[in-house]
Amino acid sequence: MNHHFTLPNSGHNYDAKASKMGMWLFLYTELILFGGLFLVYMVYRSLNQDAFLLASFNLNVWMGTANTIVLLTSSMTVAMAISALQKGDSKKSIFLLWMTILAALFFLVVKYFEWSAKFEHGLFPGMDHFNQLPNGEKLYFNLYFFMTGLHGLHVIVGGIFIVIVVFKIKSGKVNKDRYQLLENSGLYWHLVDLIWIYLFPLFYLIH
Amino acid sequence: MAPGRLNLDLFVPPILFNSLKMKNQHSIEESHAEHITSYREHFGTWVGLILLTLMTVFISVFGADLRTITVATALLIASVKALVVAYYFMHLKYDPRIYRVLITIVMSLFTVFLIMVILDYLTR
Repeated sequence: MNHHFTLPNSGHNYDAKASKMGMWLFLYTELILFGGLFLVYMVYRSLNQDAFLLASFNLNVWMGTANTIVLLTSSMTVAMAISALQKGDSKKSIFLLWMTILAALFFLVVKYFEWSAKFEHGLFPGMDHFNQLPNGEKLYFNLYFFMTGLHGLHVIVGGIFIVIVVFKIKSGKVNKDRYQLLENSGLYWHLVDLIWIYLFPLFYLIH
Repeated sequence: MAPGRLNLDLFVPPILFNSLKMKNQHSIEESHAEHITSYREHFGTWVGLILLTLMTVFISVFGADLRTITVATALLIASVKALVVAYYFMHLKYDPRIYRVLITIVMSLFTVFLIMVILDYLTR
């Protein structure tokens, strides 16, 4: 009698639960990373309240609001993309992921205009105008450029992650039964949104 | 031996292997039953988040006289938004309990850091 049995998982290692837990463990380290920066912000702001208020007037509240709305919307589209793939609608999922990437690009373009306006006014650390500012305002701009810069880096990484997932859905490597990579990219994207939720009021809404 | 694992390097007699296979198939079926959030719920979450954002901007721009209150309000609204994103968009509501337990531990750890820093600066 010929016994032929195939491995139940066709020989591939795929463990969605472990993959998800690994992603969450990484996200915890990200929370602590930004958490530490928020502590630095809290201390310096409490020591330089008026300087932080004055310096914050250099930011445009409406650009910040627009970016907040764009990020929240992209969080929704990536969450919907997961639902779509779970239902087996990979075309819809890919479309929603492209919308998310479009939002990421929009966010970065707005950030580009915001930062170039600061450069024109010489407010980047080390520039002429910056050097003449009182210490408290210097601290504000140091923290502003470092924290939004690090956050912007996360937007770029999250965007690339989602582009990779789009191509994996197209090639069928990520599908209805194997969508953990999509879910992980979504979790990362939500974290980017989560951090912005705090950056926005702390830098733009000091009034 | 780790029963329930999909990949076993060990030699397994066919009889036992079949029972393992059935067990695994069962667990694969279970993972299929995972909760799928509806588009409507995602949209509802988004509407809530946008309303909270508009509220925090409105309070900040038009309530400039209430300075210290606005900082506290802004952070409170931000925390509500963060909870909504984590609970609904990040699926914590429907995930196994361990994920909610772990995030609570991480946030408690951060709260300890926060309290230590505040105590340090208050007692200088």
